[in-house]
Amino acid sequence: MILIDKVSKRFAAQPTGARWQRKGWRLQRQPQAWVQAVSDISLHAPNGQITGLLGPNGAGKTSTLRMLAGLLAPDSGRLEVDGLSVTHARAKAQARMGILADARGLYPRLTARENMVYFGRLQGLSDGAAKARAEQLADLLDLRPLLDRATEGFSQGERVKTALARALVHDPDNIILDEPTNGLDVLATRALRETLRHLCSPAGGSKCIVFSTHIMQEVERLCDQVVVVAHGRNVASGSVSDLLVQTGQNDFEDAFVQLAFAAAPAQAGMGL
Amino acid sequence: MSQPTQHSALAQWLAVFLKEVKDAWRDRRTLRTVLLLSLVQGPVVLLLISTLASDKENRIDKREIYAQGMQYAPDLQNFIERQAYTIKAPPADAMDRLAAGQLEDAIVVVPADFEQRLQAMEMPAVEIYANSSSRGSGTARDVARNLLQSYAQERVGLTLALRGVAVASLKPLEVQERDMANANARAAQLTGSMIPLYVLIAVLTGAMGAAMDTTAGERERSSLEPLMMNPVSPWALALGKWGAVAALAAVIALLTSLSFIPAQVLIRSDALQALFRYGLSDAMRFGLICLPFAGAVAALLMASSIRGKSIKEAQAGNSLVLLVFMLLPLVSLLNDAAEPDWYYLVPSLAQQTLMLHVLRAEPIALWQWLLPCGIGLLLTVVGLAYVGRAMRSNAVH
Repeated sequence: MILIDKVSKRFAAQPTGARWQRKGWRLQRQPQAWVQAVSDISLHAPNGQITGLLGPNGAGKTSTLRMLAGLLAPDSGRLEVDGLSVTHARAKAQARMGILADARGLYPRLTARENMVYFGRLQGLSDGAAKARAEQLADLLDLRPLLDRATEGFSQGERVKTALARALVHDPDNIILDEPTNGLDVLATRALRETLRHLCSPAGGSKCIVFSTHIMQEVERLCDQVVVVAHGRNVASGSVSDLLVQTGQNDFEDAFVQLAFAAAPAQAGMGL
Repeated sequence: MSQPTQHSALAQWLAVFLKEVKDAWRDRRTLRTVLLLSLVQGPVVLLLISTLASDKENRIDKREIYAQGMQYAPDLQNFIERQAYTIKAPPADAMDRLAAGQLEDAIVVVPADFEQRLQAMEMPAVEIYANSSSRGSGTARDVARNLLQSYAQERVGLTLALRGVAVASLKPLEVQERDMANANARAAQLTGSMIPLYVLIAVLTGAMGAAMDTTAGERERSSLEPLMMNPVSPWALALGKWGAVAALAAVIALLTSLSFIPAQVLIRSDALQALFRYGLSDAMRFGLICLPFAGAVAALLMASSIRGKSIKEAQAGNSLVLLVFMLLPLVSLLNDAAEPDWYYLVPSLAQQTLMLHVLRAEPIALWQWLLPCGIGLLLTVVGLAYVGRAMRSNAVH
């Protein structure tokens, strides 16, 4: 179970001009500019469900997931994984999550199996357990032909599958996926969808799955509930049918555009 | 969920260390180049030094002297030839070539009125033309000057003897030089600081690639972000990576130190061949001296590299670290006296000083061993603390 409660995060903006400016005879440092990436975003993802974090580019999805992963400290708010605070018990919380990062970041000189076993060892598995788990995941994700090949030269789809297997190597109860279908073809996307459905079913361990995307079809076909974010804020949440009713639209894409861009119509054109 | 069986920092350290070693091992081309360079280093350096030394020896052994106008000084010519030197007329464009630094020699010019002025005791001037920017020309000038001074001394002796004056009245004392330096120290004089400096450079350049790959490389291939999503302690991560880089640096230090043993067959200088005695125990002591240095260099290069978002950025930062470590040993060149104690506090200068002690077969006190080790350990801890912290903070930037 994952709980994100009113989380906010701002970043220092990169200066575009000179940091110091002359005012008369004195040099004055330009005040630091800030970018509010996330403002009071909340999400509750129970076990056995797939929760979609849907938003346009730059909506704050990746920053939210990075805070959940323990890579960024939130400025305010609460992040919990199975009741463990990510801020105060980061290592324990990280051990309960399997995260497919936006940056897949495989080690090109290691084989797919070695990539998985390495992360398994870092998650505290014994060498034998990590190797056995790599075998299981190879069957689950159809990775067997790739297992003993160095990942250098893998296709985008092969990279995503290997990175996903690496994230699942310690069989976590909570799975977080950042734009998992980016760069995948239709068949690979379908296979991934099937895998996720299996993982959140009782047969697959009733995992809690959170995934961020900006692709409507993914959300419609996969998610039990959706949290729509725009400009770093929650703008709506509920099931796909709830959101259609809420917006009075028949098409989910129209519903999303209405929800995500209504608050800032001036930016809608840019976002689309 | 699979239950973790061992979650200790030691197990994580081992996992990181083994992964980094495997990763470095798979990068065969880089590894082969780095190790080959460290093996070739010794022979190349010794060949270079001994070639310089043997050039000087050959010049002296050749016993030839360029002289112009020697026909005006038959007595001087006779003296020089009695010393088993051959007098040769300089080439037509000798002066121009000498000025341009193209003639590695010196030219003695005797004036036409030499003999008359000598007889009249008017101190005829004999000129020696040389180019001080050329090492060979300097050696030839010294030879010519010694010959002319010996001739002058013989003339004085004969003149005084003919007048019944004892030579001792002009030369009341005889100077006899006794060199207290042992053979190793004299050989170290010939090799100078070159050998220790090359060992240190081999360690620095060898460790740099691995240090960048384990830190800036993680950022460049975007693997740092997923890595930091694991519940791994920053110390285990930094130590595991450091272990692999430091091990490579230590292997390079040992190989470079060992490479000077077989390289001795390549020594072309007779003097250096007779004096330079470098055995297995010296190589081992070189290796021991370099161990704390290898550790500190690995940690500092990693700390510098982790600031770079790419290998290219890391290279720029590391070139500064390399420059500092390469320049520090040059401090010793400014000091001819015995090295001050603070040398042992300065990394790379301390190692160079200790290696020179080994080359000169001088004893090394315990504190001289321990102080550089302590400084190396301190730098390693500081470097790794920074790496551990920076890995987390740089994971997503």
